[in-house]
Amino acid sequence: MAGLKDGDDYKDGEFFKSPTLLKLVCFAVGFGGMLLFFLLRFAMPEKAGAMGYSWLFAVIFFLSLAVGGLFWTLLHHASNSGWGTVIRRLMENLASLIPFIFILAVPLFFSFFGFRDALWEWFPKREAVLVAANEAAAAEKDGYIAERTAVITGAQAAVEQARKDLAGVASPSPGHRAHLEKNILALESKAYKLAKEDLSPEGAHATLVDKHFLDGAALLFAKRGYLNETFWWIRQIFYLVVLTAIAYILRGWSIRLDKDGDPRWFRWMRRASCGFLPFFATAWTFLVFDWLMALDYTWFSTMWGVYLFAGAALNSMGVLILLVTALRRAGYLRDVVTLEHYHLMGKLMLAFVIFWAYIAFSQFFLIWYANITEETKFYLTRNTAFWNTYTIAFLVIGHFFVPFTVLLVQKVKKLPLVISCVAIWNLVMHALDIYWIIIPERGPSLTAHLGEANIAMTIPGAWVFDVLAFVSVAGIFGFFLLKQLSSASLFPCRDPRLDESLNVVN
Amino acid sequence: MSNSTSSSSELFGYVAEFSSASDLYHAAEKVRDAGFRRWDVHTPYPVHGMDHAMGLGKSWLSAIVLVGGITGSCVALFLQFFTQVSLYPTVVQDKPVNIFTLPAFFPVTFELTILLAAFATLFGLLGLIMLPRWNHPLFNSALFSRFSNDGFLLVIESRDPKFKHEGTRQLLEEIGAGKIEEVNY
Repeated sequence: MAGLKDGDDYKDGEFFKSPTLLKLVCFAVGFGGMLLFFLLRFAMPEKAGAMGYSWLFAVIFFLSLAVGGLFWTLLHHASNSGWGTVIRRLMENLASLIPFIFILAVPLFFSFFGFRDALWEWFPKREAVLVAANEAAAAEKDGYIAERTAVITGAQAAVEQARKDLAGVASPSPGHRAHLEKNILALESKAYKLAKEDLSPEGAHATLVDKHFLDGAALLFAKRGYLNETFWWIRQIFYLVVLTAIAYILRGWSIRLDKDGDPRWFRWMRRASCGFLPFFATAWTFLVFDWLMALDYTWFSTMWGVYLFAGAALNSMGVLILLVTALRRAGYLRDVVTLEHYHLMGKLMLAFVIFWAYIAFSQFFLIWYANITEETKFYLTRNTAFWNTYTIAFLVIGHFFVPFTVLLVQKVKKLPLVISCVAIWNLVMHALDIYWIIIPERGPSLTAHLGEANIAMTIPGAWVFDVLAFVSVAGIFGFFLLKQLSSASLFPCRDPRLDESLNVVN
Repeated sequence: MSNSTSSSSELFGYVAEFSSASDLYHAAEKVRDAGFRRWDVHTPYPVHGMDHAMGLGKSWLSAIVLVGGITGSCVALFLQFFTQVSLYPTVVQDKPVNIFTLPAFFPVTFELTILLAAFATLFGLLGLIMLPRWNHPLFNSALFSRFSNDGFLLVIESRDPKFKHEGTRQLLEEIGAGKIEEVNY
């Protein structure tokens, strides 16, 4: 009504000039920290395994924030939303950090750094079993071919003998004749099936390798279609390409729209997002399968993807709130983002606090209730020693009850500083959640030490690497975020829905 | 301008028509500033910001819903805990029967929380807007029937302490009302 804002008044956008000092600090902390981390890695080769977990923890935490930004962008377009147009560029900027963070994970993929084999046990185990299987197969091959050939020859001889038997009977009764003919047919079929086996040296070798693979690691054999190195690499490339492409295509169109104001880009973004969503969901779900669930290849949970997604969406909304608050304090977006936007973002944060708790509890509940050995392993580890207190204090109370209760109050969502504090709280809890997912796997295996009185659940002093890795990746994340923020207008200044977003009331 | 349609004598209030949502919005601000309490606006569609223009505070409904939700949680937890742990300990699949049985009770607790919160919302809302009722004096007004078509209406009730027969009519005229109709019980 009174004083409706007109989008045309904002069509020049607002351009962020990133503070040089802050950018420099981020750069120094980020890349300096990373350099120190990798120097320490080569100075202390015996700690390489432990450091791999630290690096994975830091990378996946910040990657989840960037991926959450991509989710909000996609959701905003797919649902044809109008409220968040003024903060959409911030979502796009967050999403555009995906390749920078993903690249940081690459050292984890090569056994050269000593991280891969410590993190994902199936790599070395599969390799060892396959080497042993190949050796055994090479040794047994000749004997095996001879043995199988003898069996086949025997079966063929039996057919011949049966035919002779039939010919030898002078005048069989119809019943006797039918019986003998049936016998011949059965023997023929058996000989035919046996003869089908590939008994070339290569064929026999492959058969024997499979047999020894199955004997050596039945689970890895059953999962060999998924857990093999070739497919693993294809998947990593798929994740990187899909997530990066979606983020940059949408951001590119959005920035072009800033320049020429052609509504065609707006329509393209909206339509493409619906098609992008399944690819986004597949990429993120399988990424967390490969990086996090595969920390223990014997364990599985079908809720894993959505669990990590819930945390990502919740906390990137927290990052958006913090970004908006920081930018407003620095003098940007003051006229553009209102308390109504804070209220809406707060409501989405509340919704995802509940969603996260719903998913996290369901995952726990189903496993706890079914009480199946191979599933309970995950929670057994996390309920042992201090991890039990950790789970209840940080995940049950800290990650759910506290933010849930606080965010229920409407006033909280309309006070920028208060909601920012809640966002920081949630981010800390998210870090502790990711820590809880990864770090217990670093300790010694519970089942290997069954019956021992005091099992050390952690590696002493390894937390230093966790902190160092976290700070390094945080610095790099901040550096690229500042860079991306200043590369385009802070909000889509010529979007057709800008008016609606500027004047949003809820 | 007045065309009283009702035969009984007691006045319910005035219905005033405005030409647009914008006019009504500004009129509402003035009525709010004049200090009226018993009044309302009726429009064919929701007008964003009208609650602010009318000076409406936060609704009590959320408090009622909170009470409903908490009641649901407590009842569900008590009922399950009392029957399955205290009164007749039920061992299922070697699960503990003590405080650590709690996770098993969460689904029912969740459901009952939602159920009672939803009931509190529905019945709380009906209570706050005083429904159901047989009739309403506003249905005596010919003008009122237009609120669901093209009428932007403002209604001031006579039970408002600030209500004065002539003064209020004058106020309505001053703030730009078109038609003004007296509505009787």
